[in-house]
Amino acid sequence: MTRAVAAGLLLLLAVACTTPDPPRIEAGAPEDTACGEPQGPPRERTPATIDVVEQAYFCILANYWRAPAMDSRDLLVAGFAALTRALPGASTDLPALTGDRRADWAAFEAAYRKVTDRADLAEVTLDAMVAALDDNHAHWARGAGRPPGYYDGDGYGLGFQVDDGDPLFVAEVEGGAARKAGLRPGDVIENVDDVDVLRPRFPDARPVELRLRRGERRWSVTLTPGLYPRDLATLQTVRSRLIDDEVVHVRMRGFSPDSANRVFRAITRLRAGRDVRGIVLDLRGNGGGSPIEATRLVSAFVHGKVTSYLCTAGGRCETGHTDDTVELVGLPLVVLVDRGCASACEHFSSAVKDHAAGLLVGVRTAGVISGPGQPFLLRDNTVLTFPTRRHLGPNREIVDRIGVAPHHFVPATPGDAAAGRDAALAKALTLLDRR
Amino acid sequence: MRRTLAALLLLTACSAPAPPRAAAPSPTPPQPATLAAPTGDRPVGTAVLHLTDGSRPDPWNLDAEARELRVTLWYPSGEGEGERAAYMSPRESELTLAGTGAAAVPPDILSRTVVHATTNAPATGRFPLVVLSPGFTKPVSSLTSLAEDLASRGYVVAGVDHPYENHATTLADGTVAECLACDSDTDPGFGAGVVGIRAADVSFVLDELLKRKPALIDRTRIAMAGQSIGGASALAAMAADPRIDAGINLDGTTYARLPGGLDRPFLFMGTPEHAPGGRDGSWDRDWKLLTGWRHWITVTGADHQSFTDLPQLQGALGLKPLAGAPTAARLAEITRTYVAAFLDEHLRSRPQSLWKAPISGTTSG
Repeated sequence: MTRAVAAGLLLLLAVACTTPDPPRIEAGAPEDTACGEPQGPPRERTPATIDVVEQAYFCILANYWRAPAMDSRDLLVAGFAALTRALPGASTDLPALTGDRRADWAAFEAAYRKVTDRADLAEVTLDAMVAALDDNHAHWARGAGRPPGYYDGDGYGLGFQVDDGDPLFVAEVEGGAARKAGLRPGDVIENVDDVDVLRPRFPDARPVELRLRRGERRWSVTLTPGLYPRDLATLQTVRSRLIDDEVVHVRMRGFSPDSANRVFRAITRLRAGRDVRGIVLDLRGNGGGSPIEATRLVSAFVHGKVTSYLCTAGGRCETGHTDDTVELVGLPLVVLVDRGCASACEHFSSAVKDHAAGLLVGVRTAGVISGPGQPFLLRDNTVLTFPTRRHLGPNREIVDRIGVAPHHFVPATPGDAAAGRDAALAKALTLLDRR
Repeated sequence: MRRTLAALLLLTACSAPAPPRAAAPSPTPPQPATLAAPTGDRPVGTAVLHLTDGSRPDPWNLDAEARELRVTLWYPSGEGEGERAAYMSPRESELTLAGTGAAAVPPDILSRTVVHATTNAPATGRFPLVVLSPGFTKPVSSLTSLAEDLASRGYVVAGVDHPYENHATTLADGTVAECLACDSDTDPGFGAGVVGIRAADVSFVLDELLKRKPALIDRTRIAMAGQSIGGASALAAMAADPRIDAGINLDGTTYARLPGGLDRPFLFMGTPEHAPGGRDGSWDRDWKLLTGWRHWITVTGADHQSFTDLPQLQGALGLKPLAGAPTAARLAEITRTYVAAFLDEHLRSRPQSLWKAPISGTTSG
């Protein structure tokens, strides 16, 4: 989920830059509830009110890709249900809803106002409405802010990356509580099913108890989320090296602006004056970012193809083509993917797979690619983000929730992690060997 | 710094349909700028040194096995000798303008900026040293107005160009290093990485200068100042190198950890964005860690570049000053006055009254 959110935020940036359309206003929505693209630097937030919830409600109904096929009452029911959970003593009930969006809103608002005018309950209500969309690129950002004492590059959380296969195990120890408690890669987590528990986000600081197993040894630790410094070198979006002087290995952590060019420059530099056999593009843990960068990266391996479609609920689609001004690399490609490869990473992976531009090795990708998140500014200066069109792969297949299956299924294992072995990379090198 | 960059990117690359500050094409070709005259009583000499640190590879140019630094010295000199120095080379001007997107002026116009220092001028004694470090993407020549003023007041100034962190730095072999670091400036931890690199750069520059210029530099009196990430680097360099006695940060978001705090004098000087409790929280965070003499100045109406030469160059570049900003002359005066007062107090032990009675248009905390 953390990754999905990060991916959504990256998308938000990219889309903010590429969508020149003027803010849309739904016909029939009250005039002062129109929502538009944020302009300029963010302004100071004001308290949320029922008017903000109203603006968001009409904003979603006017712009969310699935809204034409949605029952608008579902949003109000979800919001009211959350409100009643937050105020168990409230005596008001939700009046009858007819399916008329404006009349239903008026009824909802009247009932709401009888119950409360608390800003925090407006937040609870709106959070529930956004959650009701059940969309991994829908998000209401209100900026929890930076944890006090934050330094650029710091991580927040338990201090380790988890591999969310079965069983869950420690993939990498980054610092913080995990390092202090002596966790090591490969340690199996026996008492947690929901991986999100292991990825707390600020301001969540509740301690997490873990029952761990390393070989025959079993023990328990309690880790408290907090800030910790990370190794800066590992945070670089693009890192590259030569393997055995004949394979270019490029690790790409996200599709941030200019990242495709950074990959191209790394490949150019490392292949110069050498007979290089192929490229391993390591996208494990790549939470996504700009669809433009994903398209450019695909275009280094195939030309004249569709990379994705962006479609309305009615099935009208905009076709995304490769950018054939990008020079072809002309080397065999193996892409390493995992459950952390989300959003733009799946846009890239699905296009590579559908066009046979390379082989995918690892495990199925995240399936977190409902559509590019489009930001809308609300009247309290918060930003509501959701897709206005859904993403489909080059064969018009739905990638969202399903992910992209690799050609070669090579999951990470606790044993490999403990021994520092990288089975997926080893497989990639064999594949390039055979070509 | 990153936030500002990001904001600029959004404003310029994405949403702004018209160039934000370009003036209408003027009927006469733009004239190069003349920098404000130094206010001290000594003439100023200048020289360039190329220093190569063979102990570490260049952090940006993966094909360079050593880190090469370019240091511009400004120093109190004898009268009327040598030629007037160049602000930068025509090629550096062209690349700098291209990098900042100012295209509608002659590409060499920055190289024709008139400065006051002369080359080949003899030094006239031993002086305290001030290291200057520029903002990201900026050459150290962007701080020439401040550097010349300090030299005229009796300081040796060592301005460091950190290659590949700005649009153009001419190296010893004549090649021009361009901004490789610009590729990765959106990476998490980028700022923390840069200030670490600059701290190492500055320690190496100090090693070399103290070795090569013992007659010119008083090694017991050393300060560092910088703008933007250069100012953040002053804090990082002080944390890493006890030879630096005092530091100044001109509007730079800070990145260095200060385990155990910092007990040497430090000056924060910034725009309202960096006022106490302002949008950037890094100064509030670090202020609590400054346990020695400390002061925090906010300049009303200033923007991020107000502490550099840019306000003085705006006319030549066809840019209009920001609404509500003090004049270029006034900004130069404010910056020079506070920086010199700080250095006079902490490197020369001359207590200043300025801290109790801030200059008009500035607030002090």
